[in-house]
Amino acid sequence: MLVIVFLFLLIIGKVFYIQVIQYKKLNNYATGLWSRNLPIEANRGIIYDINGTILADNITTTSLVLIPNQIKDKENTATLLAQILGVSKEDMMEHVTKIASIERVHPEGRRLSYDIADKINELKLPGVYLIKESKRYYPYDTFLSHTIGFVGIDNQGLAGLELIYDEYLTGSYGAIKYFSDAKGNRLELSEVYEQPQDGINMTLTINYDIQASVERELDNVMSKYSPEQAWGIAMDPNSGEILAIASRPAFSPSNYSDYTVEEINRNLPIWMTYEPGSTFKIVTLAASVNEKIVDLNNDYFYDGGAVTVEGATLHCWKHGGHGQQTYLQVVENSCNPGFVNLGLKLGKEKLFDYIRNFGFGSKTGIDLNGESSGIIFNLDKVGPVELATTAFGQGVSVTPIQQITAVSAAINGGILYKPYIVKSLNEPETNSVIKENKPTVVRQVITKEASDIVKYALESVVQNGTGRNAFIDGYRVGGKTGTAQKVQDGHYMVGNYITSFMGFLPADDPQIVVYIAVDNAKGVSQYGGTVAAPIVRNILVDAIEALDISKRDGAGEKNYNVGEKHYKVVSNVIGMSVNDAKKALGDFTLEFSGSGSIVSFQSPTANEKILEGDVVRLYLSE
Amino acid sequence: MGDSMKKNSVDVLLLISVLAISIFGIIMIYSASYVWAEYKFNDPFKFVKNQGIFFVIGVIFMIIISKLNYHKYYDRANTLLIGCLVLLVLVLIPGIGTVRNGSRSWFGIGSFGIQPSEFTKLALIIFTSKYLVNNEKLVGNFKKGVLPILAILFLVFGLIMLQPDFGTGMIIIMSIMGLLFVGGVNFKFFLKLGIVGVLGIVGLIVVAPYRLKRILSFLNPWSDPLGSGFQIIQSLYAIGPGGLFGYGFLNSRQKHFYLPEPQTDFIFSIISEEFGVMGIFIVSLLFITIIYTGFKIAKRSNDLFGKYLAFGITFQIAFQAILNLMVVVGLIPVTGVTLPFLSYGGSSLLITLCSIGILLNISRYEK
Repeated sequence: MLVIVFLFLLIIGKVFYIQVIQYKKLNNYATGLWSRNLPIEANRGIIYDINGTILADNITTTSLVLIPNQIKDKENTATLLAQILGVSKEDMMEHVTKIASIERVHPEGRRLSYDIADKINELKLPGVYLIKESKRYYPYDTFLSHTIGFVGIDNQGLAGLELIYDEYLTGSYGAIKYFSDAKGNRLELSEVYEQPQDGINMTLTINYDIQASVERELDNVMSKYSPEQAWGIAMDPNSGEILAIASRPAFSPSNYSDYTVEEINRNLPIWMTYEPGSTFKIVTLAASVNEKIVDLNNDYFYDGGAVTVEGATLHCWKHGGHGQQTYLQVVENSCNPGFVNLGLKLGKEKLFDYIRNFGFGSKTGIDLNGESSGIIFNLDKVGPVELATTAFGQGVSVTPIQQITAVSAAINGGILYKPYIVKSLNEPETNSVIKENKPTVVRQVITKEASDIVKYALESVVQNGTGRNAFIDGYRVGGKTGTAQKVQDGHYMVGNYITSFMGFLPADDPQIVVYIAVDNAKGVSQYGGTVAAPIVRNILVDAIEALDISKRDGAGEKNYNVGEKHYKVVSNVIGMSVNDAKKALGDFTLEFSGSGSIVSFQSPTANEKILEGDVVRLYLSE
Repeated sequence: MGDSMKKNSVDVLLLISVLAISIFGIIMIYSASYVWAEYKFNDPFKFVKNQGIFFVIGVIFMIIISKLNYHKYYDRANTLLIGCLVLLVLVLIPGIGTVRNGSRSWFGIGSFGIQPSEFTKLALIIFTSKYLVNNEKLVGNFKKGVLPILAILFLVFGLIMLQPDFGTGMIIIMSIMGLLFVGGVNFKFFLKLGIVGVLGIVGLIVVAPYRLKRILSFLNPWSDPLGSGFQIIQSLYAIGPGGLFGYGFLNSRQKHFYLPEPQTDFIFSIISEEFGVMGIFIVSLLFITIIYTGFKIAKRSNDLFGKYLAFGITFQIAFQAILNLMVVVGLIPVTGVTLPFLSYGGSSLLITLCSIGILLNISRYEK
């Protein structure tokens, strides 16, 4: 009897052990066995520009899902659903009788309109569920496409920021959990709703207005000059934040499969490497000024059209040369022999030190995929010829992002920043910051004083020199042209250039730097000043408004070439008769609207400076 | 013999315990089976109705038998056993015996089924008790005393294994062994038998090593969750998540097709799932009371046949109950033994109640 009592105690003890010690484990396993999930898709994190404009959004749709085991009256269910969805009953019967735990009615039952979803909902059929589906939506299509990237059919990031930040942007599935028996029938036990967790929102440093301006200007240049490619970047020089970045050809992220891998993956502003040409002279200039080996206003250089270095003749771009010039004029004229002279004065060690310190030869570390590092000469292999060509931007291979980052350092007081495009990651419910990028100082490259001199020199390039096409009246613009012959198989190609312009504004306190490059523009003389400078000017004009930059004092007057249009002041014509107004605004083209004989409104307003021949709109009333 | 003895009233504690545990069993069979019954027969009360009918018949039999002098079985022991042996042979013949769950163990009468092996359990205990009384002097002698009864035992075991029904066979072997032990068979005999048994098991394992894995799978049922570990896992899923207090009556989840036929071998896990540790306590307490009173009746009986009979019946119930419970909670491998009074099964309940009737009758002739 004792043995029997002992055995019963053993059994009770084991039950106790199972119910207390193993409870958690068994309960987890068993809940997994009993519960069934109807997945609810989460929204992907929204991507915003710096001002909150949505660049990548989600559309929510409703889709029909069946649990065939729970459908008792299959005939009736199939008939009703077929009626509402407008499909044949046989098709629906197939879905309803499918041997599957969850059956998606695809494609007829996906992305249902509100009306149809509502009709299905009202029937309250057992085993028939409507679940939420979320799909990525890019409201501006090709806009910023290389950088944002795109997602695949399951909403997974496949390229660009969508890929890099996929783990943040992807939310987690929610579910309606219900208990079922071993045959899949729903049990009358409590149902658990697990809310899907939306992905983390992302704010970029991109400014929608500036980006739109860059996109528009690149589209225009593509249709105007039919170049092979074109690209542009805008950066805040005081932080390294990317304000705009774009490439042509572009692609539509919703139809990414229509494009080649190259078209999709090559984010040209960070991927492309090429000889920069004259924009690189900014580096030589900054090094020379920082080393104090030149006084721009008081040192002179004579350009006879060519310079000979160790038997090699290096020509100036201007046939016959620029003659006697100050070094400021050397910069204004982008005179190659002048820069060769500066390079030789610096010596290879110093010049290449500066080149490396400005960030060339290594990746900038921008938070995007596919960045190249470019190539600069190994110091051992640099002879006087290599030194000389490097000084004016030949024989080095750099990326656009390296150039704009280096120029930002040259004009912002000498500080090289690490560029970045993601401003912050925010929790979708509370908007609390999960991760925030702040400006990262890489190093001080030149002194503030040297930087001031560089700004002054580059402003004078736009006022007096090769960059005059970027001039904006009342705002101080600095800049530098670039025209680089492309290299193919180790030889320079004939008549095939990458023409570029690096511009910034205001020149005394730069808020934005814009770099535009056009690859093999056709039907135009391929100079940076002709092709790229007007584009940069247009973008800077838009940036003035976008960044709310005010007019500067001490803005210089532009020096005009022969035959070039001049800026003229618009006088006040409000209250004048039509004829008087015509006389007063004789330099401009007038457009009238309204009816009457007296001007009651004018645009632009009085005292604006615009190019002669530009349109002034006048509104007339009685 | 015996007729002249003084008659007491029956043991009331045993009667109450048996009625209580049987009624609880019927309630639990309803709770455990209505899902299956509805699914299979479109009648949630199918199993509970069957069991109820057998309970009523069983109780009537129990009352009648409790009034029948148990010494009559002494006289009819041979006839009873021979009758059962005939039934055991008949049940093996296709067309007469029907197959359920892979064993040809039943005589089907409509939806009812009668298992001759259940009757044999009782008949063999009666026979062995008589045998021990008649051969009191010979039990020390292996050849003359033990071998004949062993031969009969293995004949019965062999017939049952032809069905096959390993669980019932084992219970018969063990309860008769228990009876022989009490009857004074030499301890050395059990030792030898034990050694032979162990050698036999080792031999079986050497021949087919997978058997060891099978046997040991109860230690970690998750090593083969869909095979040998399946039932025990499903049982643990009932006992564990139900927790100390249980989900409450009718609220078992495992009975929803997860635990196969929850009203039979594994009804104890459903009891645990719905009533928690309290249910386990009450069931255990009722069993201990029944077993304790059974042994007490055996002890107090003033003739040897009554002692052996009462002990045999009680020991068989005790052994079967403990075997079932240890399987259900995962202490030993699955053997396919039902739980007396609680598991669904008409013949089993009927015979168990009849056995209790005999016990009650023996209790009337106590010293």
